[in-house]
Amino acid sequence: MLLSKLPPGMRYYLGAEARLRRFVEDTAMSVFEGWSYEEVLTPSVDYYALFEQGMGVSEAQSSFRFTDTDGSMLSLRPDVTSSVARVAATLLADSSRPLRLCYASPVFRQQQQSHAEWRRENTQLGGELIGTGGSAADLEVLLLATEILQRIGLTGSFCITINDVGILNGLLSELDLDKLARESIRRLIDTRDSTELDKFLQQLSISPAIKQSLSTITQLTGKREVLDKAKTIISNSDALVAVNKLAELWSAIESLGLEEAFEVDLADVSSLDYYTGLSFKIFVRGVGYRVGRGGRYDGLTANFGTAEPAIGFVLSLDSLVEVLGRNSSANGKNGHEVQSLVTSELAATFKEALQRRSNNEKIRIESTS
Amino acid sequence: MITIAIAKGRMQDDALALLAEAGVRLSAEALASRKLALEDDSGLYRFIFVKPADVPVYVEHGIADCGVVGRDVLLESEADVLLPLDLRIARCRLVVAAIDPEVITRSFGMLRVATKYARLAGAHFGARGIPVEIISLSGSVELAPALGLADVIVDLVETGRTLQENGLQVVEVITESTGRLVVNRASFQLKAEEISRLTGALERVLQGVTTK
Repeated sequence: MLLSKLPPGMRYYLGAEARLRRFVEDTAMSVFEGWSYEEVLTPSVDYYALFEQGMGVSEAQSSFRFTDTDGSMLSLRPDVTSSVARVAATLLADSSRPLRLCYASPVFRQQQQSHAEWRRENTQLGGELIGTGGSAADLEVLLLATEILQRIGLTGSFCITINDVGILNGLLSELDLDKLARESIRRLIDTRDSTELDKFLQQLSISPAIKQSLSTITQLTGKREVLDKAKTIISNSDALVAVNKLAELWSAIESLGLEEAFEVDLADVSSLDYYTGLSFKIFVRGVGYRVGRGGRYDGLTANFGTAEPAIGFVLSLDSLVEVLGRNSSANGKNGHEVQSLVTSELAATFKEALQRRSNNEKIRIESTS
Repeated sequence: MITIAIAKGRMQDDALALLAEAGVRLSAEALASRKLALEDDSGLYRFIFVKPADVPVYVEHGIADCGVVGRDVLLESEADVLLPLDLRIARCRLVVAAIDPEVITRSFGMLRVATKYARLAGAHFGARGIPVEIISLSGSVELAPALGLADVIVDLVETGRTLQENGLQVVEVITESTGRLVVNRASFQLKAEEISRLTGALERVLQGVTTK
């Protein structure tokens, strides 16, 4: 075994990159603070069962697992949300609602190498708003994400795509499909594979109207016109409720003058069962993969006792640092001037050092030898 | 500018012809050169020519915004990319072939499968509960059964001639494959206008073809 080798998906952060990382993290946390979010730190190791409940089996399976002394399965945390949902339903069960919680924590997932998501350690900057539903909560979280991206210098370089899983779930609820078929349809819509979707729908005995709605959804990406179009092709009432909620959100986004940074994408459905309403993804110019995602998961806290509305999002600190590091020329030294102290007489040198430090000066001890 | 990754080989000429019809043209001089990255006449598009299996890699990472590659390659790669258009070029089938088709039903032990499509082959036999040993090869897969390396092969078939000449018969068709336009997820949003201009132009060409 070569000791110089790093495991795949792991890396160092040194010098300017480490400073940039600190800047992005501090900026994000100060924005959370500004919106009254309290920081929470969750355990790095937890029961695998927690994540299976919290993320769903297929996502949880990407975690690094090992066994506890009593044989129960443990996991390096693959997400933070599961643990936050549990603490909200247990320790914070009697705290007044809504809860506003945030974190900056590394998560660990086994990723296949040579894919765009290659990192196996990834620090999530995340926020959760628990105990309140409705458009105000949805918009708050979207604007929070927007402010973080703006404050770290990405104004004009990012796009947040919004969707509501209620639309596809509404349409699918009219069909008597097994889990496998639902998942196939979801995947084909999510990858805009209209050719295979049409072939797949052809084998099912479903009404031409629903067939039409499903295959049109793969095309519905854009601004307000997408929602207008959706209203004309959808007849299912649950789906229409979801479309109207998105339209209300879009109107607010427009009145705030933010429509350039947002996009409606009704085909973006990465899971049918995790999110229960608004879902969104965050893209930044220069990164081929989403740098963040979020949405409403009103069913999540029910796993731990009480069901309550909740919405949250995460940004990948590592992806943000990657793109900012590539873009910025401000990768130089950090601001403060350094005072060099030469160690001639030990006590005298360090007496001066302590005095300068008490004035918050930056010092560097130079050895004479 | 939009970067398009083209799978070299089988699909390349058809892909370039289709793109030219859609108004995205490479000059004759550019095509004659041996450069692997070229710009089109308008300067709006850059082409890169890579091995088929590398197209999904370039597109998923966003180094290329779009790509043209076979569905077989995409299924094998499991790359997370969008597939908005079937270009209906380079049509072929992914098949199981053997010298003696009954070898599959006869073998209750271990079926040896030679293939370039290790994942797809594994999934195909796995779904049927047939235990297999996958032997990953990178070419001339048709040789394997005759030489005794494998019982069956999983490979791409266009006309079936190579199979015939190596004494192989198609046992079953796993799936059909055609050339697809693939798009990076981030580019699809961040370069929405440019991408939809390209897909729109291609779609018009494809509709013209089918109404003929």
